[in-house]
Amino acid sequence: MDPALRQLLFLRLRGGLRQRLQQLASVRGLLFSLAFGGIVWFLIVTNSSHDSVALDPHAFSDQIMTFMPLTMLGLSLLTVLMTTGPTFHFSPNEINFLFTGPFRRRDLILYKFGAYVAGVTLTSAFVTLFAQAQTGSALSAFIATLLTLVFVQLNSAVIGMAGHALDGSKLAKMRWPATVLLCAVAVAAVIYAWVTPDRGILDLLSAFRHSWIGTIVLIPYIAFAELFVARTLTDLALWALVAVIINAALLYAVIRLDAHTTDRSLAENARLSSRWERIKQGGSFFATQRTEVRSIRRAPIAGGLGPIAWRQVLNALRNSFKLIIIFAGMAACITPISLALNAPITELQTLTIVYVFFAFILPRNLVCDFRGDLSRMEIYKTLPISPWRICAGQLVVQVLLAYVIALTIIGSALVFEESMTPQIALILAAFALPLTFLIYAVENTVHLLFPVKLVAMGRADFEFLGRSIVEFIAKTIFVLAAMAASGAVGMWAFKMTGTGLVLPGMVSWLALTLIGVVTLAALQYAFQRFAVAETID
Amino acid sequence: MITVTNFSKQYKGFTAVKNLSFSVEPGQILGLLGPNGAGKTTTLRTLCGIIPPSAGSLLIAGHDIAQDPIAAKANLGYIPDDPRLFDTMTVWEHLAFTAAAYKLADFEEDAEALLASFELTHKRNTLVHDLSRGMRQKVAIACAFLHDPKVILFDEPLTGLDPQGIRGIQQAIRDRAQAGAAIIISSHLLSLFENLCTHIMVLNLGECRRFGTMEDLLTEVGHTDSTSALEEVYFSITQASDETAESAVA
Repeated sequence: MDPALRQLLFLRLRGGLRQRLQQLASVRGLLFSLAFGGIVWFLIVTNSSHDSVALDPHAFSDQIMTFMPLTMLGLSLLTVLMTTGPTFHFSPNEINFLFTGPFRRRDLILYKFGAYVAGVTLTSAFVTLFAQAQTGSALSAFIATLLTLVFVQLNSAVIGMAGHALDGSKLAKMRWPATVLLCAVAVAAVIYAWVTPDRGILDLLSAFRHSWIGTIVLIPYIAFAELFVARTLTDLALWALVAVIINAALLYAVIRLDAHTTDRSLAENARLSSRWERIKQGGSFFATQRTEVRSIRRAPIAGGLGPIAWRQVLNALRNSFKLIIIFAGMAACITPISLALNAPITELQTLTIVYVFFAFILPRNLVCDFRGDLSRMEIYKTLPISPWRICAGQLVVQVLLAYVIALTIIGSALVFEESMTPQIALILAAFALPLTFLIYAVENTVHLLFPVKLVAMGRADFEFLGRSIVEFIAKTIFVLAAMAASGAVGMWAFKMTGTGLVLPGMVSWLALTLIGVVTLAALQYAFQRFAVAETID
Repeated sequence: MITVTNFSKQYKGFTAVKNLSFSVEPGQILGLLGPNGAGKTTTLRTLCGIIPPSAGSLLIAGHDIAQDPIAAKANLGYIPDDPRLFDTMTVWEHLAFTAAAYKLADFEEDAEALLASFELTHKRNTLVHDLSRGMRQKVAIACAFLHDPKVILFDEPLTGLDPQGIRGIQQAIRDRAQAGAAIIISSHLLSLFENLCTHIMVLNLGECRRFGTMEDLLTEVGHTDSTSALEEVYFSITQASDETAESAVA
């Protein structure tokens, strides 16, 4: 690599480290980072104590050897389908400075690769904290994670670049027929597993992995699975050598293929940069990239609430539509997957995962409320619409979308889970609405009171991660307290009326709704208190 | 139309604007002039209700922006220096949104006219994330004009515009003033003030250093060969204030 690029890499790494240290210098940054560290430590301790009792190391190694290569193959196939360009992304300032500098393309690729390796080294160290209990030693966990992550990146790059280098050729035309064929095979496998009670989908995948054809197809991926399960230093060194050779070959392929994809690479860099800018402004990764659409002529007025909600509807349709479909699909799969893994949705552990999905992962990704409008708050501030209408208008679409996801989970449980009756599903559906409203009212209130961008400041932004987790815990405590209060009111109503659960249920529902309305008032206060210049400038 | 009395704004111990009083009548165009950090944007943002004042009263068409914000904002159009539009909405949908927010039932004819005057007709179905900065500025101005506000506030209105765009916006500002709007413009472009403004206020370190009609200010300084008269006024006032501040510190 060119010495200047090596120096730039070093300076950037030092700058990143300095930024993190500066975060720690502030009380807020230190507290959130400590909170994050504490939670990680707690998870490691509980994880290791739980695993030592529950998991047999040999059985776990078998699972890794069986399913890790399959998962990596699946990721590669997804890359083939989803890739739109080379995956070595140069930012606009890198293009301005480096592309016009006296550097060879090969050096630029090596520079980006070096930056990526530095990043995944940190990620690998983090993963090692959790994975060492399963892999036998911290060293094997670290080396295996590092080499695997590097492989995933290089593999995706090679697939993407090879696809673009072949654009227009006969081979490129095979992409969609091959996809259809693979989908047909997958659907046939699912149907076969469905109609054959003693052979589940995991059994079929396992059989494929251990067949001779499966072994041939999965050879490059098996080397990385072997790394994770290496029990001796010799095994580790041997498989690490194989992995390094595979990665070196892929890096060589990237450098060779890069010459054929330069134009495409530049276009893709511009596209990704513009997408990243939109994400920083509160947009979604899946936002439409069309430049023209058919305009909707009129917005509903509805006393001022209409245009705000209408704007969020357009936002959801054009910014998050793909995301909604993905989340709805995931919601529909929760019950069948939990049943396949022998952890029914009625169990506390599974319910906790469902709650984390619904109250943490979903709100972090599906953003159609104030959280996506931090940079546009001055528009709302100058509108002649009362604050409570603006707040309600901002919440309505987000809440309804999340409610649809909740209904999908409930519907899926009704279909697949035997213990779920229509009566229980109806009660859950009724309570899910005020609960969803409560979750997002709290989320938005906290966000307006303590505003922050929704994206992390690069890798290892411990303050951001700590803050996200602390916020989630605080929100969960509030939601649980609201549910407990609502339940207590229901109990009181039951004691007062004596018989029947319908009236106490309705009273409990009303209590939860009332708490939601009170939270809306808190959101209105937070909106009025939000001072754009003081907060953002 | 705009009446500001004893307005002050403090941010955590720092005084951004101190005891400011002025008024702008219908048809007048006031230019806010001053170096970076003088308090121009703070004044505009407080006038349009984005940030609350620390002290004083700010009346828009007779309505106090802090006490009666909805009525005040209904008479106000604000064009920020960096218009942050909704990236998933088209140009036309921004106008439709503005019409609904200001409760305009029949807006389509006016919206078409605005699109035509800002040369945006062919961009009506374009999503704004794909527009240049100048185009986005035009969309923001069209939205601000749609409800025919009695008060219009511009913060650096010409940023990012091409020469045709600059001429068009200047003419639109003149037309609005002639139609009876009270207008405030904040900018660093002295030529813009010379072309448009009836009044000038020079701010420095959050305080009003000079406020008067453009003619009075120019008469005071007279004409010099090397620089424009307004530039002379600006530097004489701001440099004198800087020297006063430095001697006070010493």
